[in-house]
Amino acid sequence: MAKVAGAETIIAHGVRLDGDLVAEGDLVIEGEIHGTVKTNGDLRIGDQAMVEADIEAGNAVISGTVRGNINVRGKLELFPSSQMTGDVVTEVLAVGPGARVNGSVSMGGEATKGKKRTEADES
Amino acid sequence: MYCYVYDEALQDRRYERELAQIETRLTDLGIAGKIARLALFRDPIELIRDEIRAGVTTIVAVGNDLTLRRVIDAVGDRKTVVALLPIGPQGGMTALLGMPSGVAACDVLSARIVEELDVGEVNGKRFVQSVHIEGTDFVVHFGKQYTLTPQRKATLEMRNFAEPDDAGIQSPVDGRLSCIIRLPKFSLFKGKANVGVVPFEEVFVACEKNVTALVDGDRLEGKDFVFRVIPRALRLVTGKTRKF
Repeated sequence: MAKVAGAETIIAHGVRLDGDLVAEGDLVIEGEIHGTVKTNGDLRIGDQAMVEADIEAGNAVISGTVRGNINVRGKLELFPSSQMTGDVVTEVLAVGPGARVNGSVSMGGEATKGKKRTEADES
Repeated sequence: MYCYVYDEALQDRRYERELAQIETRLTDLGIAGKIARLALFRDPIELIRDEIRAGVTTIVAVGNDLTLRRVIDAVGDRKTVVALLPIGPQGGMTALLGMPSGVAACDVLSARIVEELDVGEVNGKRFVQSVHIEGTDFVVHFGKQYTLTPQRKATLEMRNFAEPDDAGIQSPVDGRLSCIIRLPKFSLFKGKANVGVVPFEEVFVACEKNVTALVDGDRLEGKDFVFRVIPRALRLVTGKTRKF
């Protein structure tokens, strides 16, 4: 039996999401989000997207506007059109020329482990 | 034991020859069975349920998507196997299920590759393919987790199973439906609509006013709709060229 290709969630441009989004597969955001975003898969935030949320993802590529903290277990790519306001925790970071980051940046294994430890302590 | 439910359109003389060929082929393959004919004033649900009570284990809809839909509506259990034997003009199900049209379908039927498919339900009405609500204002509630609100009039499709298109590929065997929101683009140059896709198991849709939803082509009026998936609710005979 053929398996469904790319179990992907797409929030289209012109759609607003309010609440806590937990996606099982990859996630593409082109619209507006207010709340929190979690996915174990890859996250892509398009250049017209507006996200006011704390984000957790496996890998992430950001071209749009994000207001909130972001925790990425793998690689985070900030494209030239991206605007980040919030703290960034990631294993690997790639920043394009012109990308704006306002907040602290923690990178490498210790940073992501530290974040996990803090979360465990809180719970 | 097989039961063949003939669509009322097959009473037309132009199908006589093809039906005769099919009946001969079914006899050759040893899968001939009782024939029941749908008619204008005959309740298909009663007709089909009577056959199931009489011991029929496989109901074959002879006709098109609509015939299959009427059979699926009538078959309420998960034991009875359903099949489509396509004759005449077809909708999308023939290709999706990998069933060839006419006599060739008899061999596929005989091979009996049975798949367990999910079925969608909207306000208690079952659907196999999708539900469409055209250009309206609505809010989709995904339980208490989150809501989706299009910023302008949009088209809503709740899909279980369809040909791959701009919304990607949806599987009827994954235990989920897909909420597809299409927003037209306002541009001098006509472009593709913005398409959003969110998989779900159960959602509530609140429309701003009364709308008509097309449930696999049938009309359903309402303002509020509850959609849910019934996993593996339908046992359907498919061909090797099925698209899932």
